[in-house]
Amino acid sequence: MSFMKLKAISTPLTVINFINNNNKKSGQWWQSLHRTMLRGVLGKTFRLVGYTIQYGCIAHCAFEYVGGVVMCSGPSMEPTIQNSDIVFAENLSRHFYGIQRGDIVIAKSPSDPKSNICKRVIGLEGDKILTSSPSDFFKSHNYVPTGHVWLEGDNLQNSTDSRYYGPIPYGLIRGRIFFKIWPLSDFGFLRDSPNGHRFSDD
Amino acid sequence: MAQSQGWVRRYAKAFCKGFFVAVPVAVTFLDRVACVARVEGASMQPSLNPGGSQSSDVVLLNHWKVRNFEVQRGDIVSLVSPKNPEQKIIKRVIALEGDIVKTMGHKNRYVKVPRGHIWVEGDHHGHSFDSNSFGPVSLGLLHAHATHILWPPERWQKLESVLPPERLPVQREEE
Repeated sequence: MSFMKLKAISTPLTVINFINNNNKKSGQWWQSLHRTMLRGVLGKTFRLVGYTIQYGCIAHCAFEYVGGVVMCSGPSMEPTIQNSDIVFAENLSRHFYGIQRGDIVIAKSPSDPKSNICKRVIGLEGDKILTSSPSDFFKSHNYVPTGHVWLEGDNLQNSTDSRYYGPIPYGLIRGRIFFKIWPLSDFGFLRDSPNGHRFSDD
Repeated sequence: MAQSQGWVRRYAKAFCKGFFVAVPVAVTFLDRVACVARVEGASMQPSLNPGGSQSSDVVLLNHWKVRNFEVQRGDIVSLVSPKNPEQKIIKRVIALEGDIVKTMGHKNRYVKVPRGHIWVEGDHHGHSFDSNSFGPVSLGLLHAHATHILWPPERWQKLESVLPPERLPVQREEE
């Protein structure tokens, strides 16, 4: 009976001891788990940040020096480019100063540097531009100053362009649009201006 | 023989990997964060290049500060020249959009700076090709903000954004 009593007393004690020991061990176990998890998470975060920076830099170089995909909005280039068309723009011509008359370019808006405009180059520096409408009796001309270009949208009735804000500096041009990707019904290189040539070289 | 070939291939692989990481990061840094440039010409004397052609100042150009096209009156900025897109010019911002400036040598006596444009002038009036010649410039041509002179060492300094008092705009845009 006394033996049974002893056992009865010792069993809860051993159980308590067992639980205590396990708690200590499990506490250490949790600590080490946390440490490795933290190190793993930190490592993964650093690697993610590193990859983001690397791919961001490659994207910047690609768009700045080669070209990229652009979505155009607005009616000023209809029918050549409709609203919400997706086109491909290349930036090599801008860097090598190879923009020519008749090219469609993306440029920074002269009155809002954060927004872009998409127009056709009608005249380069030194060109004489006919600025009066065909119905006017007296024709007026404008000469494009050095370092500037004259832009006009294809949709002459619905386009604010150089006829409104004058010639813009060449430095505002970001790239040249030469290929339409979407909609697929209009896939391919872009057409010439539907308005004919409205400039004369002297 | 096989070992030296393996070494060459491993080196070439490591080189390509490093190249495609280092070059875009460096180019992006120089385009978007900061770069260094030598100032030529006398249009910003005495702030920059006081020694004339003997010693050209080298300035630190900060692209990050102008990434949202925010400049203050008095800042020294570099921009793409509106007359020659291959060239960059460095001038001081005199007036922001909406200000009315009293010009020195422009065809109009008073000019109101249009929206999205700034009026820049060199400190050396009369020897400077600036807005008095080509009018207000579009903010889209802004390239960087010159913040410090780095060379020669005796001219190490932070460039202050001060407007010369005689060039204050006649009327400022109300905030």
